[in-house]
Amino acid sequence: MLVPLSWLKEYVDIKLSPKDLGERLTEVGLNTEKITREGDDVIFEFEITPNRPDLLSVVGIAREIAAIENTKIKLPPFRSSFAGQAKIKKALPLTIKTDSKINPRFTGIIIGGVKVRESPNWLKERLLKTGQRPINNIVDITNYVMLEFGNPLHAFDYKKIKGSVMTVHQAKGGEKFTSVDKISYHLPKGAVVISDSEKIIDLCGIKGELNSGTFEDTTTVFIRVPVEVPVLIRKTTTSLSLRSDASSIFERGVNAGGTIDALKRCVDLILSIAGGEISGELIDTKKEDFLPWKVHLGIERLNKILGISISEKEILGLLQRLNLNPSKKTRDIIEVTVPTYRNDLKIEEDIIEEVARLYGYNKFPKTIPQGQIPVKQIPYLKDFEIEKKIKNILVASSFSEISTYSLISEKDLLENKINPDITLRVDNPVSREFEYLRPSLIPNLKKGLLQNKPYFDKINLFELGKVYLGPTLDKAKEEYFLSGISNNKSYFEIKGIIEKIFGEFAIKDNPSDYINILDEGISFEINFTDFEKSINLSKVYTPIPKYPSIIEDINIIVEDKVPTGKIIKEIQNQSPLIVRVDLLDVFESSRTFHIIYQHKERNLTNEEVSKIREKILVALKKAFKIKIKE
Amino acid sequence: MEEELIQIKNSAVSLALDAKDKKELDDLKIRFLGRSGRLTLALKELSKLPKEKRPEVGKLANEVKNTIEETILEKESQVTKQKSQELKEKIDISIPGIKPQIGHLHPMTQVIYDVVNVFKGLGYQTADGPEIETDYYNFEALNIPKDHPARDTQQTLYLDTRNAKVNPGEIILRTQLSGMQARAMEKIKPPLRVIVPGKVFRYEQVDASHGFEFWQLEGFLVDTNVKLTDLFGTIDYVLRKLMGENIKLKFATTNFPFVEPGVDTYIECTVCKGKGCSFCKMSGWSEIMPAGMIHPNVLKAVGYSSRQWNGFAFCIGLSRLVTLRYKMDDLRLLTNPDMRILEQF
Repeated sequence: MLVPLSWLKEYVDIKLSPKDLGERLTEVGLNTEKITREGDDVIFEFEITPNRPDLLSVVGIAREIAAIENTKIKLPPFRSSFAGQAKIKKALPLTIKTDSKINPRFTGIIIGGVKVRESPNWLKERLLKTGQRPINNIVDITNYVMLEFGNPLHAFDYKKIKGSVMTVHQAKGGEKFTSVDKISYHLPKGAVVISDSEKIIDLCGIKGELNSGTFEDTTTVFIRVPVEVPVLIRKTTTSLSLRSDASSIFERGVNAGGTIDALKRCVDLILSIAGGEISGELIDTKKEDFLPWKVHLGIERLNKILGISISEKEILGLLQRLNLNPSKKTRDIIEVTVPTYRNDLKIEEDIIEEVARLYGYNKFPKTIPQGQIPVKQIPYLKDFEIEKKIKNILVASSFSEISTYSLISEKDLLENKINPDITLRVDNPVSREFEYLRPSLIPNLKKGLLQNKPYFDKINLFELGKVYLGPTLDKAKEEYFLSGISNNKSYFEIKGIIEKIFGEFAIKDNPSDYINILDEGISFEINFTDFEKSINLSKVYTPIPKYPSIIEDINIIVEDKVPTGKIIKEIQNQSPLIVRVDLLDVFESSRTFHIIYQHKERNLTNEEVSKIREKILVALKKAFKIKIKE
Repeated sequence: MEEELIQIKNSAVSLALDAKDKKELDDLKIRFLGRSGRLTLALKELSKLPKEKRPEVGKLANEVKNTIEETILEKESQVTKQKSQELKEKIDISIPGIKPQIGHLHPMTQVIYDVVNVFKGLGYQTADGPEIETDYYNFEALNIPKDHPARDTQQTLYLDTRNAKVNPGEIILRTQLSGMQARAMEKIKPPLRVIVPGKVFRYEQVDASHGFEFWQLEGFLVDTNVKLTDLFGTIDYVLRKLMGENIKLKFATTNFPFVEPGVDTYIECTVCKGKGCSFCKMSGWSEIMPAGMIHPNVLKAVGYSSRQWNGFAFCIGLSRLVTLRYKMDDLRLLTNPDMRILEQF
């Protein structure tokens, strides 16, 4: 919301500099995003939180400034009075049929004999400074009063209201609606509209219809100042993706007690700028009286929650500055009366915030919670220690970690032979590039590898992140995967890294099940969520051997297709004294194995070892038809 | 006897100082201090002296021994250094080193580990929750009913319900981590101190300071007698631990439906030092840690008595914290797998 300083100054004396004022307003909750000098004026740009519809008005902001400056605001005096209805010379007919469930308050009046023309310069300038486009004097005045008081108003051309009847009702759905700015819509079911005897003439709280708008030829206007139901307005604006300044106010909750004042101000301005006279009785159909309400505030509770001690006198002073009319009820209880424009103030905590924010958050001392440190394990516990260890192994093995988007494209899926039909998908993606929830980390790793190719020869990347498994939303599962890709390490180097990780956590799986050979390089992908469930972190010390080991290499000739892993296993099975077997060398059809023999409690003799060796060779001959190299 | 000892000392010291290499020094050690070295032999004569003279001469002998040992040791160290120097002169030591092939942890990971560590010191446990979330936990349990205007500030990505028995609009990608407040509180009684680092998703167009996927850290504490000043103190402590003690912070009032009073925290922009730049939208300050006292409605929704228990909740923009810490001017750098970026961390 853009607000010129010159306009604010009409209602409140401001001693603070624009910069200091901006800082204080931000501190009390009116976020000042930008302050720009424009000629001899200063324009503030505010970000208004959803709970404060009253701050979508210049008077509302002036009230906050008055509270900060500890002064009172001066509202413009009203000249019009709707009390002397007898003075009306010629009362024009208008029948209002409304329903308080969809339109809690309907305030309005007819003004006849107006001259529609360009607005005076001062009015146009003010609107321009707040980012509004001037249209004609009547429309500009309704916009001006909305900006000033925060109650949206709409001017109808009275003569275009057929049958002099306005019926507030909900749309059936599909009706055509053309807004005053000449854009057509099909109304959603339930949208609150006004019809005359023939057609829809208003989309309540959002936009007027072109067919009943105020133009050069308009001479009689009906000004409507309504209270709308926030949820109904929001449903329609969301469904049509159509928002207006008015709908922003109604969605947040308009000042239901403010319609008469806004109408008075509007009538004053119309009569002085566009001429004319009041030509009908004041209409004010309402569900209830919309009176201020009361909230109790405990002084002790306030100080307990805030953690400071503010005196009763100071609390009363702060509440007074916020127009909350505090009065002492009992020794501890203050009763505040909340003006109707502050519908965000409903419970004691809301009033506590009022005191705290005006007192100034930056004046509070800082403390640390005194309670006991909870020891009970929380649900959803996450332990980073395991992933830290694994990431350290990968980093030490020259892998760099990447962190990529969870959302990927259909093209990414197809390139990786993943079926999009069974992949979870976002209904309203920001772009086609980020439409599917990744079921694997490999697509992004491959892209990362390709992206780095022009600059690096050796590329080793990994990611530990979530994947999203389908096939449909009701069967959706989120799991952490640990995946990597390398364009320069051999299969066995990758296998060694996985073996190292598995070994660290006593995982018995076969590392080869997790490794793939791709066109781009060697990749691995491990379901880390499952991995975490099966790890064993407890380590038990094994004493270092007291007696020397005997080491020997044996050389065998064996057919190529016999897996080395099986041979190693067969060797190990021959004696518990074999503590380690490694493949030392492969040359044509010969393989050399390095075997370590050891006894825990004594020295091994050569005779013992040669017996085991015989046993090994016999077993290998039987199992794999090996030959011994001479 | 005394004269002989002094002579031995002078001779050993002068020979040691003249020694050219380690071998000469080793020889000296044997010649003077070895089993049949000059000093050793001289000491054997000690017993022949009259009793009353022995202590005095003994003391001198010890001093001589220490002096010889120290001199040799000092010379040895000098010789070793000299040798190293000579060997270094034979090679071109200005050639850059051969670096070990080590990868890099992502800066986000490093920051998460740091943050978790700081909170661990304050007694917080870490939780991890689902990214595919229900509308109930993401919004309703947090005092944000359907059609609440606060939903506008968190435009939502909805998931496709094809072939699934799920009503459209009910399952979303979480827009915030606050849903974990209700999830955790439903399952456990206070006191509670929990942090939740994680990814959140918004329907938002991407630019230097916005993205549709980014990282946050949610935290909450529930206990008896929790005060607003405790929240201010916690924020101040945590941010100073993470960003340095000399950072500038300021607090402001704000509104989130699930807190009351609501707090926003701003840190002086580290990129421009408060002068105003594109990263901080020219304001000199960057919003870093929104927070507040947990709204009684949120406590009620999980069955806590808001008279017995109260607490605070806060959220740190982790992506922003990383960019602020390393003075990175674009959030998109964090999801870019370019090793020229990764290698800097």
